[in-house]
Amino acid sequence: MAIILIAIMVLAAPAFAQVDFSGEWSVKNHEDCLTNSCQPPLGDYLGTPLNAAGRQRAETTAESIWGIPEYQCRPHSPAHQWRGVGGARFQKEIDPITRELTAYHIQWWRSLDRVIYLDGRPHPPAWAPHTWTGFSTGKWVGNTLVVTTTHLKDGYLKRSGPQTSDMFTMTEYFTRHGDLLVTTEIIDDPIYLEEPFIQSTTHQLNINTQLRLEPCTTSFDENGGSDPHFVPHYLPGKNPFLKEWLEEHKWIPEAAAKGGAQTTYPEYRLALNDATRPSYRPVNLSKSAVDVRKAVTAESPGDGEVHVMPVQGNVYMLVVDGSNVAVSIGPEGALLVDTGSARMADKLLSTVRQLLTTTTAPAPNKCVGSTCPTIPWGWSSPFIDSIVASTAAPRPIRYIFNTSAAPEHVGGNEKIAFAGTYPGRTGAMIIAHENVLNRMSAPTGKEAPTSDKAWPTDTYHRDFFKLSDWFNGEPIIAYHEPNAYSDGDSIVFFRHSEVINAGEILSTVSYPVIDVAKGGSINGVINGLNHILDVAVAETRSQGGTWIIPGHGRLCDVGDVASYRNMLVMIRDRVQDMIKGGMTLDQVRAAKPSMDFDGRYGSETGPWTTNMFVEAVYQSLKKL
Amino acid sequence: MKARILLILAAAAFLFGATAYAHHSFSAVYNVKDMIKLEGNLVQFVFRNPHSFVFIEAPDQEGKMQRWSLEWGGAAQLAGQGVQQRTLNVGDHVIITGQPSRAPGEYRVLLKTLKRPSDGFAWGTKQGETFD
Repeated sequence: MAIILIAIMVLAAPAFAQVDFSGEWSVKNHEDCLTNSCQPPLGDYLGTPLNAAGRQRAETTAESIWGIPEYQCRPHSPAHQWRGVGGARFQKEIDPITRELTAYHIQWWRSLDRVIYLDGRPHPPAWAPHTWTGFSTGKWVGNTLVVTTTHLKDGYLKRSGPQTSDMFTMTEYFTRHGDLLVTTEIIDDPIYLEEPFIQSTTHQLNINTQLRLEPCTTSFDENGGSDPHFVPHYLPGKNPFLKEWLEEHKWIPEAAAKGGAQTTYPEYRLALNDATRPSYRPVNLSKSAVDVRKAVTAESPGDGEVHVMPVQGNVYMLVVDGSNVAVSIGPEGALLVDTGSARMADKLLSTVRQLLTTTTAPAPNKCVGSTCPTIPWGWSSPFIDSIVASTAAPRPIRYIFNTSAAPEHVGGNEKIAFAGTYPGRTGAMIIAHENVLNRMSAPTGKEAPTSDKAWPTDTYHRDFFKLSDWFNGEPIIAYHEPNAYSDGDSIVFFRHSEVINAGEILSTVSYPVIDVAKGGSINGVINGLNHILDVAVAETRSQGGTWIIPGHGRLCDVGDVASYRNMLVMIRDRVQDMIKGGMTLDQVRAAKPSMDFDGRYGSETGPWTTNMFVEAVYQSLKKL
Repeated sequence: MKARILLILAAAAFLFGATAYAHHSFSAVYNVKDMIKLEGNLVQFVFRNPHSFVFIEAPDQEGKMQRWSLEWGGAAQLAGQGVQQRTLNVGDHVIITGQPSRAPGEYRVLLKTLKRPSDGFAWGTKQGETFD
């Protein structure tokens, strides 16, 4: 009898302690709203652990940023997504062989498909793109699914102000109680929060609905005016609407309304009363688990190695010791955009040659016997050649484009070019704007800063340059971006692969380097980014589609470029306003015009500090 | 008869309900305590969900001609109020009132009323002519 009971218990128990979340769920309530989806008014940061940067970012953000073409259809940010109107749908992905649950797919009314992998796979490398939903993996802890999400784009913590950086990570706990689902999120964003922020949302199972799709097409800028690249925002201290809501809620202390970690604890009430203030003791705050410097550096590691990231079509992104190289690999050979630093040339060349062998290696034999196509006599003998075979010599490196004369982009020119060949020439063709050659060479009789073997062999001086022939099956075009990092910048567009190499005007690891002495300017960088936004097309909802390889950092898309451009416009306008007010460079620096972005892109040390960036912005605007 | 009316209303709510939600907050984007009046010529009408947009060329406060973006209801919601794709056409001279954007430098308005003097067409003047 005991054996039978044990057998029943063993066989009846599910293989995994799992609760089924699949189905349609309607938002029931959450901390900010007891009835349905709603949002705080402008300036209401109650219960939000904003740090100083997060507060300034919230106060200077205009809600009408939603009207720019790149943001009109973007999904809700994950921090808000659970609370968006329309509810959520959970679908299961089951391994057809083992019938194990391998992933959940979640969709919202205004979202892309969000996958939560349950198969134990690792998170992608740091140079992989960030998305609106991020990369999520889950593990069961009892009946609760614990989900860890990385690789998130920037967005908003709440509607109407508080923002999130693209460095935040999210830990979620999904717990089902009958027909109720509670999702608890811990949002860890040390760029804008003093400590991780916790919120929860309750959903109710709804068997009488089907999740629908928010219709959204972007065909114009909604912001009016004549500037198609207009970025709405408020200058610091000049948002007149932040206290509007307090006029209707006079009992709320203004200090508490500004948020901050201490204001979220009950002890804070003591600080608001003269009589109890002496006994107030701030609480010890939780620490962020995100090491920002480490996370940013990991996007572009200066580790002396070459990391390969397949992008799309023919194009690979090579992360070369802190700088990016784009390479087109195909039957006609290789075309590189930039060549990294001189010390990395050997490793870069070795990697390119390895990639080239993929085009000359024999294709796998997929033909067996009389089923082989194109063999009228019905035997597979010709295909034996693909089994008894060896890899042919790699196709040559034919072209190199230089996006600028920056040493970390032209350092490998000589070695890479002379390892290649172009019919009728010695070595591969090197193409750049003519000011790159001007920077690298010198008039006859004078000493040039670089070896003549590294100089561009073919230059252009107009708005664009296109290869006269398709290469690896596609047109490749360089566009000149005047006065950006320097006076010789190009972006390079692979028109069939849908990949753009942005060179120095885009970086995910720092503010853009602007060499004012060599013709660079903040407006040139912004114009260059705007041009990329004009050329690039997102696959859907400002994500994917045309991929953009930055000079440094992780692979980007339209959403990332728009966010970077928005930041630069905000900083540019602040410095411009300060110049208009008669402030000197030292006064501008002291006013910290980039304060709310410094934690993400700034640096106190190294080759490109925040001070140097602010000075470059100031100097280039003073020239106007 | 009453049951039929209820059924029609329920069906209408089902069809149009999901498209009525704003993808951004009106009160956060627009200064709902302010109201401006503009008079100009229509240059673009985008009749779509979740919101339609009317663009007119009209002078700003300093008399400089600007392209104003007027946010209107979603196509489904406006259709329920008798507005169709060809209700407005490029070149129409219109007078509008609305709530201006809060953000400095924007030429954007949340449409409250629209009148076309040439034929007396008006929207926003009768009960129920609103949107969300």
